[in-house]
Amino acid sequence: MDRRKILLSGAALAASTLPGCGGGGSDAGTLKNPLSARDGAPAGDAGQALNPLPPPSAPKARVIVIGGGMGGATVAKYLRLWGDAIDVTLIDSSPRYTSCILSSLVLTGQRTLSSQVFGYGSLRSRYGIHTVIEPVTAVDPVAVSVTLKSGRVLSADRIVMAPGVRFDSVPGLTDPNAMPHAWKAGAQTRVLAQQLAAMPAGGVAVLTVPKAPYRCPPGPYERACLLADWMRRHKPRAKLLVLDANPDFVTEVDNFTRAFMDLHGDIIEYRTGVEIDHVDTPSKTLFTNGGAVRADVVNLIPAQRAAWLVKATGLANATGGRFAAVDVLDYASTAAPNVHVLGDASATTQPKAGHIANQEAKVCADALSRIFAGGSPDPAPVTNSACFSTITMTQASWLHAVFQYDAASRTMVAVPAASGASTGWSGGHYEDMGVWFRALMADSFA
Amino acid sequence: MRHTTAVYAGMLVAAQALVPASAQNPPPGRLLASNCFQCHGTNGKGPGFDDIAGESPNEIYQKLAEMRAGREGAGLMVKHAMGYTDAQLRQLSQWLSTQR
Repeated sequence: MDRRKILLSGAALAASTLPGCGGGGSDAGTLKNPLSARDGAPAGDAGQALNPLPPPSAPKARVIVIGGGMGGATVAKYLRLWGDAIDVTLIDSSPRYTSCILSSLVLTGQRTLSSQVFGYGSLRSRYGIHTVIEPVTAVDPVAVSVTLKSGRVLSADRIVMAPGVRFDSVPGLTDPNAMPHAWKAGAQTRVLAQQLAAMPAGGVAVLTVPKAPYRCPPGPYERACLLADWMRRHKPRAKLLVLDANPDFVTEVDNFTRAFMDLHGDIIEYRTGVEIDHVDTPSKTLFTNGGAVRADVVNLIPAQRAAWLVKATGLANATGGRFAAVDVLDYASTAAPNVHVLGDASATTQPKAGHIANQEAKVCADALSRIFAGGSPDPAPVTNSACFSTITMTQASWLHAVFQYDAASRTMVAVPAASGASTGWSGGHYEDMGVWFRALMADSFA
Repeated sequence: MRHTTAVYAGMLVAAQALVPASAQNPPPGRLLASNCFQCHGTNGKGPGFDDIAGESPNEIYQKLAEMRAGREGAGLMVKHAMGYTDAQLRQLSQWLSTQR
């Protein structure tokens, strides 16, 4: 008994005098009263929610996070876990996030759209993050303030933008739902699922791949593979035409080449270097540099750029004005030092995808925690990207990379030995995909 | 006596792990180790693949070093381990061992 008390008080002392350390240990994790530790002290057992972290009563710094997706949710959570009394407000126009990851399985009826939805309740109750559910109309990068649709203005020491992408408009597409991209999971995912289900046997579906960089490099190809397998089972004699604006598979070339040419060669026709000039919505016709293509279902995934707010704030200064250049040590915009941009909206050497946005967010949270305490960002951050691709309705491959900071080029550089894909695909990898998804979403939202 | 020793030893370990850490200078290895969390849970405590928190630093390091050397097949985790330097593997193993 005595021993236990000593250890507990020791842990409490350590926590109260050394905020910002994540190593609370099991004894700190058993503390039931979160107020026994100073505001901003770490939750020693964050994954288990035993000791919720209230908002700091005397904040030492304030951060506004815009966008509650993979990057935004994660940076908010880790600023609270790792920072010393940082007050964090997360703003999104929606009260819930709908995961793009695994959303192609909604098209084949293997997952429900509701299973893709993640709320912000844990971020509020476990980590003391304030949430504001309202659109942002403007960001002032000099005053470091955010204007909401209601006219209310919030200010902070730093702003982190993780607003994701927006899609280029397609000439002639008068009704976006007539040729849905379903590349932001949600309403269009449901629309495309309905259109596929209604497709006649022997029908033709088209899937277009935009020019890189776009969100989730293997995503269009894995969706094509998955739909081909679904068509084999549910739509006899149907064909899937994949029109790729790129000269070849953007990633995972070996697996997708085999899957497209061999496994699904009777269903998929793959054309490269095909760019969409305009479309005719009523007749579902695409006019391309390779001629006109008409189909029963068109999954038109347009080219992408950072969400409009990034450009409106003057931060879309890379990739021909499409994305935001950042310093990958802390994700500060090169155009506005107090505004950070991470995830799909930023221009880096890393892929635009949820798993690595989660890690970019941790690098940013760690850097801001140090900066607010008078320090500097970690000079040698490491990030990783990992994902699984559905090659059939029951089998998957995986794709992976680790990036190390290169001081000479000031970029994240992929480590060759750690970059690559599985040799082929399997049911075991498909099962692993489910474990990965649950873990990733919990690390970001729970 | 044994209890006292155990308490002292525990406090010493805690002190070693905690003393250099502050918000300005967080524990070495923590940011590196956070690359594990996407698949092994926040602080390595799940949900996800195997829990990796709280083993001895050497146990964790030896497993990762075997993978990095290519002696553990060709799975995703082997690929992942190959992304770090030996020193980085030691640092993140040390930090993960503090998570009990």
